Amino acid sequence: MLTLLLIFAGSGAASASGPFGPPQTISREAGGLNTAIGYSYQEDKFEDNAQYVFRQNQVYSQVSYGGQNRWEIYGRIGVSDLTISDAFASNNSSTIISSDRDFTEHWKFFGTLGAKGFLPVNKIFGVGAFLQGSYYFEHFKCEVAGTDAGAPFTADLKVRDLWDVNFGIGFQVTAPYDIKLYAGPYIYYSEAKANLSADIAGLKFGTQKISLENKAIAGGFAGVDVPLAKGFHLNIEGRYSERFSCGAAIGYRY
Amino acid sequence: MKSYLLSIFLFIFLAGGPVYGSDSIAAPANTKASQAVAVADEVNEPAAETADTTADPFEEEYQNGEYADAITKEEKVEIADPLELFNRAMFQFNDKLYFWMLKPVAQGYKEVVPEPARISVKNFFTNLGFPIRFLSCLLQADFSGAATEAGRFGVNTIWGIGGLMDPASSKELDLKMQDTDLGLTLASYGVGHGFYLVWPVFGPSSPRDTIDLAGKYFLNPLSYITPWYYPTGTKVVEVVNRTSLSIGDYESLKEAAIDPYVAMRDAYIQYRKKQIKRKNNKAGAAGVQLEQNLTKSGAN
Repeated sequence: MLTLLLIFAGSGAASASGPFGPPQTISREAGGLNTAIGYSYQEDKFEDNAQYVFRQNQVYSQVSYGGQNRWEIYGRIGVSDLTISDAFASNNSSTIISSDRDFTEHWKFFGTLGAKGFLPVNKIFGVGAFLQGSYYFEHFKCEVAGTDAGAPFTADLKVRDLWDVNFGIGFQVTAPYDIKLYAGPYIYYSEAKANLSADIAGLKFGTQKISLENKAIAGGFAGVDVPLAKGFHLNIEGRYSERFSCGAAIGYRY
Repeated sequence: MKSYLLSIFLFIFLAGGPVYGSDSIAAPANTKASQAVAVADEVNEPAAETADTTADPFEEEYQNGEYADAITKEEKVEIADPLELFNRAMFQFNDKLYFWMLKPVAQGYKEVVPEPARISVKNFFTNLGFPIRFLSCLLQADFSGAATEAGRFGVNTIWGIGGLMDPASSKELDLKMQDTDLGLTLASYGVGHGFYLVWPVFGPSSPRDTIDLAGKYFLNPLSYITPWYYPTGTKVVEVVNRTSLSIGDYESLKEAAIDPYVAMRDAYIQYRKKQIKRKNNKAGAAGVQLEQNLTKSGAN
């Protein structure tokens, strides 16, 4: 599985709104709910004419319904911050930025919907696939201040309509104590619109809305799902490409 | 402000009297208002009292057969009702409010909202009642109850989707909701029921339980949402939702009673009395357990 992960390691930055989870549902075989609370840290590279590194901390709550140990649909609602490194870096000597060069905005709501299917090959090994998409309901906004040719200015950069869609295949091994180890490749697409409230010479953004898209389209993920006591599960997952993203969730099976 | 609160508390205490005497409070002047009620306490009468010689075969079967175990002891539960005129007027008002407004709305709501969704809404509001149950447990020095409540709140809020579901009550977790409030807390301090009181909209109460009504308002997080019509609206939703899950209960009680007002009063007093009894039994059991643990640790 690590080999699989490494195959995809050099293929670009990874992005998704939270862990994908094990390919096999943790819901009861007869069908039932499971819920989770999770945290995810992720990094991704977006590009237009320039490249930007997006960093996000996400906290979310998830509700899933699955059955027959084969399928699951799930939804998440959560909050996320956003940092874009060097978003306000000046490329003109007459434009001097006095505020932070990073774009930073605090918690904004997002929602995720997903579905997964699993095909057991035998009692230990199985393969599954998932489709997951996220949308940020609110826009991110940050102010930049400085002087342009000696004249002071302030402007707002808005990042709106951030969304992503992911599709992946996961290979799962069930270890003793029902511990599930999984890994696999995934492909994805992310997009966001950005524009500045004023045209400032020397800044990469302008008043015209530009579309930022993910630089890479594929990544790899690996994780483990450990049953805890009294119906709880711990899920830890990492996604790696140019940068490392990771997440953890504690789920409860009804 | 402090002296104002102190005087209110003193009034409640004096009006209430000692809790253990509340069962035998004689109705002042109005003896009609003091209603004796039979309470099934699952206590068998001594054989001497029940073995009344008779030739009736059915009576013999009753005494010697399985029914003999079900013979219950009668316990008198009384409450003073000096404000009976006012209370009856408020009872009528609440009755009309129920039949003319609340019930039709709840029936319509029941038609459009499926039962699982209504149970989820009930769970949500029950979960929001955590502060008052938690504080009541702490004030009663019931730390195990407080811990259970905190655990329930955490589990249901996080994994129960904000309290819409109740995983804490599952067989695996078994964190049962603590049946307590500020009225029971005052009872544990020795404050008696006092006289019977019917509030418009809020229904049956007493001076002691009125403190609980106030506490429920101040300790409900929804009370602090602004503007004012948001908490009012959510309260209406809560009441309509709760009513939709219990349509018919009040009607049954009313139909079975000769005097619905008296039936409601007695039902309320018995219900509160049983809650206090259960709480006292729990506290007693916890005390015995603690004593045993201390004895064990002393022996070691």
